[in-house]
Amino acid sequence: MTVETALSIRGLRKTVHVGFRRKPVEILKGVDLAVERNDVFGLLGPNGAGKTTTVKVALGLMRASSGSVDLGVPGLSHVGYLPENPYFYDYLSGREFLGFCARLFGLDGDARHERVEQLLRDVGLEDAAATHLRKYSKGMLQRIGIAQALVNDPELLLLDEPMTGLDPVGRVEVKRIIEGLHQRGKTVMFNSHILSDVHELCTHIAIMRIGRVVWKGSVEEALSESATLEDFFMKVVTA
Amino acid sequence: MNQVVAVTINTFKETIRDRVLAVIVVFALLMIVGGLWLGSISLGEQGRMMKDFGLVAVTGFGLIVAVFVAAGLVHKEVEKRTVFVLFSKPVSRAAFIAGKFVGLCGTMAVVLAGMGLFLFVLVWVIAGQASGTVLLAVVMIYVQLLAVMAVTIFFSTLGSAILAAVLGICVFIAGQLSHNVLALTRLGKNPLTEALSWVVYVLVPNFSAVDVKAGAVGEQTLAWGQIGAWVAYLLAYIVVTLALATVIFRRKEF
Repeated sequence: MTVETALSIRGLRKTVHVGFRRKPVEILKGVDLAVERNDVFGLLGPNGAGKTTTVKVALGLMRASSGSVDLGVPGLSHVGYLPENPYFYDYLSGREFLGFCARLFGLDGDARHERVEQLLRDVGLEDAAATHLRKYSKGMLQRIGIAQALVNDPELLLLDEPMTGLDPVGRVEVKRIIEGLHQRGKTVMFNSHILSDVHELCTHIAIMRIGRVVWKGSVEEALSESATLEDFFMKVVTA
Repeated sequence: MNQVVAVTINTFKETIRDRVLAVIVVFALLMIVGGLWLGSISLGEQGRMMKDFGLVAVTGFGLIVAVFVAAGLVHKEVEKRTVFVLFSKPVSRAAFIAGKFVGLCGTMAVVLAGMGLFLFVLVWVIAGQASGTVLLAVVMIYVQLLAVMAVTIFFSTLGSAILAAVLGICVFIAGQLSHNVLALTRLGKNPLTEALSWVVYVLVPNFSAVDVKAGAVGEQTLAWGQIGAWVAYLLAYIVVTLALATVIFRRKEF
């Protein structure tokens, strides 16, 4: 791995066993991927392509059957993650939830308080900070989800479908957050089905299909082959 | 350590804010008050009846809280997918299990302290007996329930929440009876039943050894040295059970 690589995945395979007879199903069939530092990287693919599984294996939520993942940073201390359709502790307020996440990273006392208040401001939830998460709208949950992913000021941010379910205002806000992270030198990799957002935000993309990366390169390269990213995506996944 | 503290505080908030817990505690307090009626129809034994009935109520409702809350603690995190948030941060499975257990210990301490103090005051005001042994009996109930919680958490890492709760209750009942059952089967001289009851006696914590309810109501003299040794045994049992739960939970994927 070079110094410039924030995430390197090599020959990643994952087999799960399903049903009563424990039938083996290979859901990742040798994924190779490299994300450069300070890149905004889009991981695309139809449902069931293996995008979420790839991220979960990278984070250790699932074990790889074979292959390797190098996060480019030691452990998970410098990684942030927003799961798809996030669900958080609904008995906590937004402030309590971020405080809990900050405590997991060892932030104590004033440092924790300041970090939490800063994040609440960054994602525009200061007014809802004392409200329990059960009363949050989907957009607010997505924003608090992004805030929890940023609590440790991560170098690498993995976002699983960050725009899903958001209204246009929410999407713009999330895009601004991602752009801000990019400007601050952070690396962002996100899975998405919304290709217009990918076009707008990403410098590089990889397209997965049935457990493999079938294409990877820059957005410019993709657009040099097709008129739109949608056309290129359809061409690759139906090939 | 930070991670254990964070999970502990979060678990305490989760369980103490659960409305079902408040309902159970209200029912328990009503049951303890119900002991007044039993006391009123027992000639000259009002204090003893109130203590006896009250301690049974504390045990029963404490057990309900212990098994049903402990059984759901790990499962809720997995089903509601909050584990994604937790384990994508530097939180080990051991810290998770330890934090969950210690957080629930805190909630159980609040619940039992509330019920125990209520019973103590009631016996004091109604029967005129400021019985410290009632509070000691509640402490021993607490120790027993800690072991039940650890066992239930262990079972919840193996199967469903309902199964874990049922097995937790079974372990509690078996732990109350295993000592006497072993003694009885030894009298019967059937090697198979004796071996089976010995296995149960070894695997299941011996709760009857730390049950001081009879002593609290004046029916039995308490041997504190022996009780202290059994408490140490139960604490060791809890540590081993949680270690096994961690080993199993480490194998889980989300």
